[in-house]
Amino acid sequence: MYLHLLLAFALLAAIIFALPVRWKAWAATAATTAAAVAAAATAARCLATGETLQLARMQGPLFGPESLTVDPLSALFLLIIAISSVSASLYSCGYMKHYYGKKSSVQFSLHYLSLVALVVSMMMVVTSSGGFSFLFGWEMMTIASFLLILFDAQRPEVLRAALTYLIMMHVGFVFLVAGFAGIDAVCGTADFDALPYCYASRHTLSLFVIFLIGFGMKAGIFPMHVWLPEAHPAAPSHVSALMSGVMIKTGVYGIIRVAGEITEVGQLHTAGIILLAVGVVTGLWGAVQAAAQNDAKRLLAYSSMENVGIIFIALGVAALGAGADDPVVASIALCGALLHTLNHSLFKSLLYFGAGNLYSQMHTTLLDHFGGAAKRMPVTAALFLLATAAICALPPLNGFAGEFLIYLGMMDSVSNGVNVLYAVGGITALALIGGIVLLAFAKLFGVIFLGSPRHEGMNSVREVEGLRLGAMAIPAAGIIMAGLLPQYAVRVVSAAAAEFSPAAVYLVEADVAPTLTRVSLTAALLIILAALLYTVKVRAQRRRNVTQGPTWGCGFTAPDARMQYTGESFAEGLESLASTFNSDIVEGRVVDKGEIFPPAVRNYNVRHKDRVGRLFSAWWIEMLRMINQRIMRLRTGKINNYIFFALMFLVLVFVLSLFNIL
Amino acid sequence: MIVKTLLNTLLMAAVAIAIPGVINRLRARLAGRKGVSFFQHLRDARLLAAKGAVYSHTTTLLFRVAPAVYLAAAITATLLIPVADLEPIISFEGDIICFAYTLALARAALILAAMDTGSSFEGMGASREALYGALIEPALMIGFATLAMFCGYTTFADIFAVKQSFDLHLTLVMLLAAYLFLRITFVEAGRVPVEDPRTHLELTMIHEVMCLDYGGIDMLMIRIGGWLKTAAFSMIAANAIATVSCFKWWFAAPVAILLTGVSVGIVESTQARNKLSRNTTFMVTISALAALIFFIGYLLQLDINI
Repeated sequence: MYLHLLLAFALLAAIIFALPVRWKAWAATAATTAAAVAAAATAARCLATGETLQLARMQGPLFGPESLTVDPLSALFLLIIAISSVSASLYSCGYMKHYYGKKSSVQFSLHYLSLVALVVSMMMVVTSSGGFSFLFGWEMMTIASFLLILFDAQRPEVLRAALTYLIMMHVGFVFLVAGFAGIDAVCGTADFDALPYCYASRHTLSLFVIFLIGFGMKAGIFPMHVWLPEAHPAAPSHVSALMSGVMIKTGVYGIIRVAGEITEVGQLHTAGIILLAVGVVTGLWGAVQAAAQNDAKRLLAYSSMENVGIIFIALGVAALGAGADDPVVASIALCGALLHTLNHSLFKSLLYFGAGNLYSQMHTTLLDHFGGAAKRMPVTAALFLLATAAICALPPLNGFAGEFLIYLGMMDSVSNGVNVLYAVGGITALALIGGIVLLAFAKLFGVIFLGSPRHEGMNSVREVEGLRLGAMAIPAAGIIMAGLLPQYAVRVVSAAAAEFSPAAVYLVEADVAPTLTRVSLTAALLIILAALLYTVKVRAQRRRNVTQGPTWGCGFTAPDARMQYTGESFAEGLESLASTFNSDIVEGRVVDKGEIFPPAVRNYNVRHKDRVGRLFSAWWIEMLRMINQRIMRLRTGKINNYIFFALMFLVLVFVLSLFNIL
Repeated sequence: MIVKTLLNTLLMAAVAIAIPGVINRLRARLAGRKGVSFFQHLRDARLLAAKGAVYSHTTTLLFRVAPAVYLAAAITATLLIPVADLEPIISFEGDIICFAYTLALARAALILAAMDTGSSFEGMGASREALYGALIEPALMIGFATLAMFCGYTTFADIFAVKQSFDLHLTLVMLLAAYLFLRITFVEAGRVPVEDPRTHLELTMIHEVMCLDYGGIDMLMIRIGGWLKTAAFSMIAANAIATVSCFKWWFAAPVAILLTGVSVGIVESTQARNKLSRNTTFMVTISALAALIFFIGYLLQLDINI
């Protein structure tokens, strides 16, 4: 199996390296599309029949026999990976054009090879039954994404971000190895299927927490999210889309696998509380930080963190519901979590593609360099607006359908009288997150696409080519379809949810789908009403005097683009409330209240840094370095010293064994 | 059945029209003025409907569509609200969530439209509206959760039809919830002490300043949307009262009109607007109040003798 994989990669590498630069992208797209079509076909078969398909069996070198199997949960994630990877690689064909001539052919080849490797490794991760093949796929995923981030490595911040990412992923990897070794120690195999026996014997929660840290590092839960806002802005946009839309979801996938196997009621309750608490903190932190960012891609990275938080809130509510023996709450919340995972992969890809369009035109993603982009890039603007509305969970788009289910799960929990306090905590957090996200994305869309240009560079901005817009149409179609017909989208996820909450399929058919049909009818009514009102208005205005003029300046006759609200000023109110979470880096000086006539030109620049980021540049890193220096003194380079150390070690082992400590 | 639904819709429209009239009349009487007629706002509406429009060069299509989306969302949200024992047009499990997010759509439409003009004043209004919306959202959802907990349903129509016999606990919680929703009405309707709709200074406006560039039919749509939103919130508060007193439409509809009309009229005649920096505290206080009401409800439901 591994040999076949390596051979296939060697062949693909040979093809990609041999092709001329313009064709490399298409070769990679063909490879990912082939993999995606195969995966999607398998996934569709599995979801339709509900049966588990075994693709391959192999003997792992560490933990015994393993297999690649597709069960409904794997199938759902395969589907997510397939959709996003096709649109991302198609997008890259257009996007990478602005790097032609700036990068060498080898760099392009490595980039595209890594892109295919990332897609294949993600598919391997979600189909592996656990153990060595899972860790193999996981590590391959990390390295492939590391190489993808590194594409623009001549920028120092990219190098720094990629290294941060690599180090943090390997810290997480250690936890995963420990987790699988823990299963292996108890059950003699490291499959996920062995988890129930492992949980039955002992140490359920310690094992769960070890896996939570390992997977949470990838998913970006608080406080392990530090790599997200560094790595996503550094990577090319299609890579950010793939990483943010899909790759971090493999962490969610792992958590669902691990938490789903807990059966004991008390432990499910505790696990639910942990997941809910993690979700609330992650979601709120991500939302507040997103609103404070002044760089489009950083804002989107924090928004990914916030969405992972929402998914964890739903998972926590599902686990609490299962722990209280309430299948309705458990099924609805789990369906909500899975639907939100699918939805987020769609709109986050679209948002990163939009950011990529902006970057390729302006070579920056700083919000305050834009303004009025909607007039120059109307299609990008329309697609970006669609994704913005979806991520704010506004009806009638797919984000609303997912969050509706999550809310419904929590409201059912409240009205059934189980875990009322936890559910209301989740509702409060989700409501607050929803409100802040609306602020953050109104700022993102408003400052970039609306108003007048803030920078002379905007004059040269043009709409991007049709290929990229075509790639963006894939997630856009998904957003609209899942939004207008949520009752069908929920049936797709209910098969996956049924794996852990067997009542899900029946409940969805009998209860949830009819409710969602009403939701979609309400949405249809909303759309029809809006269209009707707009038509009436346009027809009425034909008979009236409709003219164009300057924006009303409240009596001031010389308005200027510099007077517009900037991203910073838009979020100022929230930032003053949440100032304790940020450390501000200020350049320049604020206009003082006493200055009636401030000098004409003054620069004021402020950046908000996540306080958690300081954890990784703080005193304990310095201390580690000091300790390391002390230890390095032992490295004398003299052979007699080393023999002495070896002798001392033997003596130590002897002494310890004398006292029966070893 | 159809008659009930039709009556429900007509009553909601009547409440929406009556509330501004009551406020205007009451304010005039309390100030000792003769005041405008009860239907002055409808005459203003007719005036707006007859006007043309001036659109800014800066704006895009979004600016022209936004008022229609705003009004459509407000209408849809209003159609979810029952008038006591009548039936709304749309009612399903979880419609309380749908209500909150449809109104979020309305808010988002106006915020983006305000950003579209590129005016510093409208950006200011948009920023404030977004922040206050985010801060008031938890209060609304906790309020709904309290009702869901106490009544065991997640549908407006079922929640308010819950009562069988007199129950002191239910009465207490419903009255507190009515008070909470009345406070939220003040914020959502943009009234004193959150903001003063009669102010002449753009720097202190919130909702009004977002619509500076609108006129004519667009402004009319935003006005009507605002009336409907106020009516919807007011009706929720009135339903909570009706549940524990007289659960009939002929009781709930006048209560909805008078509750908001009289309280807004009195507050606007006697109080000054908050200093803007105090508004965030005001919103957070409402959310804290909602959490407190929830805990009272939670304790009462546990049947602890206090």
